Amino acid sequence: MGPLIPNGEIPIEWDSIIAILIGIAFGYVLEASGFSSSRKLAGVFYGYDFAVLKVFFTAAVVALIGVYYMDYLGYLNVEQLYVHPLYLWGAIIGGVIMGAGFVAGGFCPGTSLCAVAIGKIDAFVYVGGIMLGVFVFSELYPLFEPIYEGYFYGNVTLEDSLGINPYWFVFIFSIIAIVAFVVSDMVRKRVKKVFY
Amino acid sequence: MKKDKKQKNRHVYWNPYFGGFLLGIIILFTFYITGRGLGASGALKSGVVSIVDSVAPTHAEKNAYYSKFISEDNSPLNTWLVYEALGVIVGAFISGGLNGRIGWRIQHSPKITSKRRLIFALGGGVLFGLGAQIARGCTSGAALSGMAVLSTGGFITMLAIFGSAYAFAYFFRKNWI
Amino acid sequence: MVKKKTAKVLALRYKLLAAILVLLAGGLVLLPKYQKHEGIKPQELLSNVISPERYLSTDQLALKLINRDPSFILIDVRDEKSYANYSLPNAINIPLKKLLDEDSEAYLNQNQFDVVLFSNDNFYADQAWILCNRLGYKNLRVLKGGTNRWFSTIINPLKPSEDMTAEEFELYSTRKAASMYFGVVYPDQVAIETSETKIEAPKKVITVQKKKKAAEGGC
Repeated sequence: MGPLIPNGEIPIEWDSIIAILIGIAFGYVLEASGFSSSRKLAGVFYGYDFAVLKVFFTAAVVALIGVYYMDYLGYLNVEQLYVHPLYLWGAIIGGVIMGAGFVAGGFCPGTSLCAVAIGKIDAFVYVGGIMLGVFVFSELYPLFEPIYEGYFYGNVTLEDSLGINPYWFVFIFSIIAIVAFVVSDMVRKRVKKVFY
Repeated sequence: MKKDKKQKNRHVYWNPYFGGFLLGIIILFTFYITGRGLGASGALKSGVVSIVDSVAPTHAEKNAYYSKFISEDNSPLNTWLVYEALGVIVGAFISGGLNGRIGWRIQHSPKITSKRRLIFALGGGVLFGLGAQIARGCTSGAALSGMAVLSTGGFITMLAIFGSAYAFAYFFRKNWI
Repeated sequence: MVKKKTAKVLALRYKLLAAILVLLAGGLVLLPKYQKHEGIKPQELLSNVISPERYLSTDQLALKLINRDPSFILIDVRDEKSYANYSLPNAINIPLKKLLDEDSEAYLNQNQFDVVLFSNDNFYADQAWILCNRLGYKNLRVLKGGTNRWFSTIINPLKPSEDMTAEEFELYSTRKAASMYFGVVYPDQVAIETSETKIEAPKKVITVQKKKKAAEGGC
């Protein structure tokens, strides 16, 4: 039963090799979906290209449905999966800062790595900027520590914090995603086309 | 129309739903094999930690943040995410190579100069790096992988990123449209 | 004609995909729920049961206690009354009926320490051991013979008679030494050091960290 590596069904030595293989697949899909182009990424915020929204939501829905079906059929134990911890204000403040960085720079870390791979100089600068940002954060760590370490609610899922049935949530989430796709197509028809 | 565009335009990408579907399968596969999600900014953080550790080891040990990621017998670069990020670069290179998208260039809106684009890229990068550390993850690590396991933190991070990006979009519109 | 037909189907393709998606997601809601099998497989449990590793003898335990081995915790599964009456040094009381409580889990289900279960004899400790094993807890052992054997071997070792082997005598002397460590006073010793008081086994504070999830992540 999965996850395979934590349950010892694949020896831990394979971990790094699998990491590289998964990374290759991840990078290939990101690049082929156009995520190496900052103007395509930024399109989602100006309504001329909704690729980010479509890829992002489709991926989340597919992964969610897959995870819960595999859990249901006994191939995967949802309880054992790593759940991103909730540091409430860290998530909000960090997210707001990231959002500003996203629309200013036009990349997020994963996509900037893709753009670096195909030789975009702005992406090189962007990656340098990220590293600089990490450096700034580390040097000023005492300043950020209360947000970074505080307001910790544990590795909670929506099931824990909202008391919602995960199956119903997946269902509602899928419908929201479909509605978002339809709306985004309608918006794109109204917005002036931008060629890039 | 689509066909003759393909011959001229290198910027023809996969159907987003198809890409999203494959990405979802990759996330699912990653969770199935390793029990964890994808990530990207963690690898860059490891990079920074190892640079600081090799340039100024005593400083890195004293700093409360770097020291979390430094251990005696293990290089900070020897983590899952670093290998994964190397894979991302290789994978993107393969895809770019197959579609003829590789080449040195600065991509920017015709309304702005390259210099302006680079300055904004740097500023955006700094902000993103800072934010990713505060929120303990970026769009792939926190938002995308978090959403796949219904993590509350992942959803909040996702909403914060996109909410604020929409809020700030107006101020940066000249850069893009 | 064929082209027209395919074009018709293609125009519908997004609606079709959306319908499939909704169906799949709705399937999750509608699927009959069942109680999941929790814990390890019966075969695995059996192999754990027949493994000789699962017992710890009283002599081994005495040695561990004297060496102040920090790697294990003692858990007394008898009721509170017996625990208050007498227990092994530093033992934690988790009566069998409270074994599945949330507070108990922190002690039983962790990777930090070995857990040694004991009761008056093997009986209740074995039951606790099987229950915990079934739940997939690791590093569990049972004190062979429980407190009864602890008394008959360590606290009050039987003096070997003259015709026994040298090893028996050696065993007796180590057990005797151990019992002195645990506060038993012998008449021949009293003659020499009358002033010696009962030595209490050193108290150790046991803090148990919550078990980490199997997978770790982070971006």
